Amino acid sequence: MLSITGLGVTYGGLHALTGVTLEVGAGEFVTLVGPNGAGKTTLLKAISGTVAASEGRVAYQGRDVARLRASERAALGIAHVPEGRRVFPTLTVRENLELGSYRRAARRRRTESLATVLELFPILRERERQLAGSLSGGEQQMLALGRGLMAQPELLLLDEPSQGLGPRIVEQIFETIDRIRRERRLTILLVEQRVVEALELCDRGYVLETGRVVLDGGREGSTFTSSASRIREASRCGRACWRASHRPCRDCSARSSGGWPIASGAR
Amino acid sequence: MVVAELAQYVATGLLVGGVYALMSIGLALIFGVMRVVNFAQGDFMMLGMYLTYFYALAGVDPLLGALLTIPPFFVLGWIVHRGLLARVTGGGDPQRQMDAQLILTLGLSLVITNATTMILTPTPRGIRTAYATQAFTVGPILLNEARSYAFAMALVLAAALWLFLTRTDAGRALRAAADDPEAASYQGIDVRAMHGLAFGAGIALVAAAGGLLATYYPIEPSVAVNFIVLMFVAVVLGGLGSIPGAFVGGLVIGLVQSLTLLALPFQLQNTGVFIVFLLVLYLRPQGLFGRRARTV
Repeated sequence: MLSITGLGVTYGGLHALTGVTLEVGAGEFVTLVGPNGAGKTTLLKAISGTVAASEGRVAYQGRDVARLRASERAALGIAHVPEGRRVFPTLTVRENLELGSYRRAARRRRTESLATVLELFPILRERERQLAGSLSGGEQQMLALGRGLMAQPELLLLDEPSQGLGPRIVEQIFETIDRIRRERRLTILLVEQRVVEALELCDRGYVLETGRVVLDGGREGSTFTSSASRIREASRCGRACWRASHRPCRDCSARSSGGWPIASGAR
Repeated sequence: MVVAELAQYVATGLLVGGVYALMSIGLALIFGVMRVVNFAQGDFMMLGMYLTYFYALAGVDPLLGALLTIPPFFVLGWIVHRGLLARVTGGGDPQRQMDAQLILTLGLSLVITNATTMILTPTPRGIRTAYATQAFTVGPILLNEARSYAFAMALVLAAALWLFLTRTDAGRALRAAADDPEAASYQGIDVRAMHGLAFGAGIALVAAAGGLLATYYPIEPSVAVNFIVLMFVAVVLGGLGSIPGAFVGGLVIGLVQSLTLLALPFQLQNTGVFIVFLLVLYLRPQGLFGRRARTV
């Protein structure tokens, strides 16, 4: 579905990404973790087209998209739910959602998508006529996610959906992502700071540090479990937990002791 | 008797204000979507007046002529955006871009004014219509026919823009591109095309307003300076980039201009406008319709 080889991005002489190679297969859920400033957001932007690659190749469905503009890539079915939600504050909730299905392929199925999204996030139905700028952070995140789903995407890019949200909302967001993925077999590339949760949901993970991929936790077949723990170690966030970030709690250590969920036969 | 006189001034002010409102929403649309301060807006208005004048020479009624300025000026705006403005918008250092835009639109304004003076001479021209000197009588109030028609058409065009922005996919995409260009591009919205659309529509609206103005105002190459300031005041008064704000701002300016005549001579007509402007800036710096977040 998505195949990135030797991708480099420079900002005014500074290397934000160097030689990044990454693969996301159709129907796969891949997580990208790493410390702040590692280049995770830049990588997502290079995929969706708002940051230009200085070298390397970004192939989507076997087609090199490097020369396409962001809007053209979105039209091909790449939906980017950006960091910080970025809903359209002066448009209503309904208008925000409808713009999610702006791309031609999604426009025809607008009514159907809208029903699904409102069923997924009932709170948005209540807020339908409100301006998106008046929503709470959690509601805005649901709206951003809903807007992304309205595009009927083939590839969903999620950038830090848990950022700045309270624990209960985060749990709800992660549950929804898990549900969407199971119901739709959607291909997802998730960037997260909350490593434990992210790794539990996904099939494979990558660790990015200072613009390079330092660990690739998949690809080794039966060694998934060890890869997962190595990813946790490498990201130095092993005990991060969405209930109390960066502080271990009982619930969380219990969950993470389960290891890599995929290893126990889900795949 | 005093009440009747006051009503007359209010009515006259509102009629003129409707055309100011139409001019101003064009400027607000361009600023709201592109963050470009278009100093050449008044000059496009002047060109709209001339086109309506030439239409009138060919026998087209100026009210229809004003409408007929819309298609060619939309195309002209689109071309100016693609050929000139697009080079200094979208990407790069925002401060340098802002400088480049200011110089570009200011330069464009000078070029248009001087080229028009050269080609069409500075001689003022006028369009003669039967209705320019007629008036409707409503009770004790006289409403100039030309201004009444111009007012009605301005309302219709403003309403059409509003319907476009709120009821169509393209209009919503335009507002989304104004709110957050990056997020808009993630929805598949071509932000550069939206800028072209906003600039084309903004220029077309001001040209049409010029055409309506031409039914009762003399046409000359330097006419822009008399109006560009009023447009800026209307846009700031209404809250930068807000279209309903600019509309109300335009009406307020017409009203204030007219009421100023109760106290001051005609030459000082704009004094009242600036007093109100300063008061609004002092009491409500975000403008009448302004919010912290920018709006269209």
